[in-house]
Formats: sequence, C-alpha cells, structure tokens
Amino acid sequence: MSMRSQVYEWDASRGTAMTVATYIGQRISIFVGGVGNNITKPAETTATEFVVIEDIACTPMLGTHSEVTNDTNIRGLLTDKGIAGPRAYVQVRINTTDYFLDPDNIPNDGIPGAGSPYPRSINFQPSFNLYPDVYVLPGQVWDALVTFYNNSFAGTDAAANELMAFVKYTLYDGPDALIANKLLEMGISINPGNVDWYKRSLLQAQA
Amino acid sequence: MSMRSQVYEWSNLQANANQLRRTTSDAAVAVVANREYDIFTGGIGNNITKPAETTATQFIVIEDVASSPILGAAVQIRINTTDYFQNPDVTDMVGIPGLASPYPRGANSTLNVALATAGAVGSENILKSFDLYPDVYVLPGQTFQILYSQRVASDATSTQIVSAFLKYTLYDGPDALIANKLLELGVTINPNNVDWYKRSLIEQQQRSRAVAGGQA
Repeated sequence: MSMRSQVYEWDASRGTAMTVATYIGQRISIFVGGVGNNITKPAETTATEFVVIEDIACTPMLGTHSEVTNDTNIRGLLTDKGIAGPRAYVQVRINTTDYFLDPDNIPNDGIPGAGSPYPRSINFQPSFNLYPDVYVLPGQVWDALVTFYNNSFAGTDAAANELMAFVKYTLYDGPDALIANKLLEMGISINPGNVDWYKRSLLQAQA
Repeated sequence: MSMRSQVYEWSNLQANANQLRRTTSDAAVAVVANREYDIFTGGIGNNITKPAETTATQFIVIEDVASSPILGAAVQIRINTTDYFQNPDVTDMVGIPGLASPYPRGANSTLNVALATAGAVGSENILKSFDLYPDVYVLPGQTFQILYSQRVASDATSTQIVSAFLKYTLYDGPDALIANKLLELGVTINPNNVDWYKRSLIEQQQRSRAVAGGQA
C-alpha cells in the first residue's frame, strides 16, 4: 500500500460546531482550524512521503436577486442577501505560500465553491479541475483554507452540510515517494500510472 | 510550482466601488445593459490592483471563460487591444454567451424578480455548449482583459446577482520559456507538452554525455 488514494471531508458542524458570526470572512484551516472536524496536527509529509493533491472543492453558491427573502431554501442552500449558499472559497497553502493567485500575483481566496462544488449534483457541477496537480514534497506542511462571506446559515452555529470542504489526494510513501521525487526531477507528471511505468522500466533495465 | 492552475471569479457583489477584496457586507449592484465591464479593473464587484498582464517571465493559457446564463450575459477576451471573439464578418461581438458557457454550471437561465420565494429561480440546469479549444495564449508582456456584458440591464429594485469565471494556467520562470519554445515549434501549450519538452531536453543531455563519455 505505498500509493494510496485519500480524501478528507470537512464539515463546519462536526466536532466543535463553527459559530458563524465569529468565522465569517475569516480563513479557516480544515485540518486544525479549531472548528468542524479536525485532525491532531497540521498536515505534513514526512521525509518518506509525497502527496499529490488532485481535487479540492467546497459548498457551492448560486446568485439570485437581492429581494429574495432571507433563509429561503433554493436548491438545498439557504439564502442571504439574494445569495444562496455560503459564498465559500478554498485555498491551498504549501508551507507559507498560497497556491491560487489573482492575475496581479496577489493571493486570492482560492477556488470558489460555485466553480468546484462539493457535493456535486445536477444543480451544481464543476467548472474547474485541478490540473496540473499540486505537489507536496517530503517535509512540507500543507493546508486547505476555507473562507466564506455569506451568512446563509439557519442558526448561530453551522448545521450539517451548510459549509463543507473536500480534498482528494494521493499519498505516496516509502519507495514510491522516492520514485515520485525521481519523476519530479525528470519533469514527468506524478500519478500512479507513471510511478508504475518507472518501476517497470527499472525491472526491464535489470533483466 | 512553475505551472499553476488558476481561477478568477467575479460577481457584481460589493460594499464599495473599486473594491479589491470580497467582504461580508457585499450586496448586489446594478449592471448597465450593453456595457463592457473588465472583470479585473471594471470598478464594480471584486477587482484586482492593476490590469491583468504577464511579466517577461510569465505565460498564461486561458482554458475557460464563463458567465451567468441570465440577462443575456456574455464574456469577451481582449488581448492588448484585440478582441478574441468576432462575428463572421469580422465585426465586434459580445463574446461567449452565458447560455453557451454557464457559470455556475447547472445554473438557472430564468430568474423571476417579481417573486421573493424559491420559485424566483427557474428549474433549468444549463450545461455548457462551448469549450475554449484551442486555448487562448497571453504571451509575456501582454495585457489581457475579460469583458463582461449583458443585453438586459439589472432590475431597478430586485438586483440580479451575476458572475463571470476565468480558468487559466500560469507558467512562470523556466516553464514560461518552454511555453514560448513550444509556441515557436507550433506545439500546443499544456502541462503535458511542457513536461514532454523537459524530458526531451534531459534525454538530449544524457545522449550528449554518453557520446562524450564514449569518445574519452
């Protein structure tokens, strides 16, 4: 099991439920942000691990018009100021560097939930796929940061499915992490197919 | 991180004119009909600090543009002063309609401003009819704009919320040089081909070393 497909799902209502008024407009780490379900320590790769982030997504939104009554349920999302959903974004941070930038090279809020929705449905389909993938090299710390701007929540605390985020990544460890590093040096995309190809080419060279 | 997938989302939500960051007090502002708004520096909605441009060591490949499928919205790409989408008679046009390239995908194409209930939102799920292929290249040193326009003005009281979306890949540093090289060679610029070019350079070096080693 040296190449493993992994996912992490965050829901602001699980664990310590998020108080909406405190966190609106703030960046929240989905791993160690203190609200929602968290993990025990910041996400990081050891010296023998390599992580390839393949997809990120968060709760979508849908614009309507300004006079729609607050808390109206539109396509499963509550409305505030005419916006259905939390108007959420998710940014990837590697060590201290934000991955997504505006065209003026200033870090932005990240991928909008409307562009990369979680969960996907007929009503909310992705406009974005994370390609090229994001590589987390051995020894790096990484994070996914959610920001939301709309108070589309039923209560003072987040309820289930009102604000969620999702990360899909592949974890390479042991010898496969070494091969991933080698592929990176060679300028070859790191994916399970190419790691297997490299192993086969080593075996062929030995034979 | 020299090849990075990037997105930019604009909407007519703001607390103040010429606002740079999104805020929690943003509200919908009216959009005038048949006027082109630069989604980066157009003055309404979320903006950036300066016109979008590539530096001498950057290369941008625009892979998708989209807009709300309501109010006859459309998006045009302008590189320096040249509009990308034209009519067959080479006259100006508004660009890709939101109905052909909707954002969000699956959104409604009708919005009844007379209703304040869930019935205001049409039940349609608009899917894309348009794929931006071949991609649009923004060469080093060029300025680019994404121009949003709508045929129908916003309602005076029930202001509709509209958005535009841009997906692009930013190549910088050595990868931008490779992108330029691929352009010269007439090869499509995408992450796979940039990687292919890197591999071919490495193989070439290895062959040269092997030949040099054989001669020594």
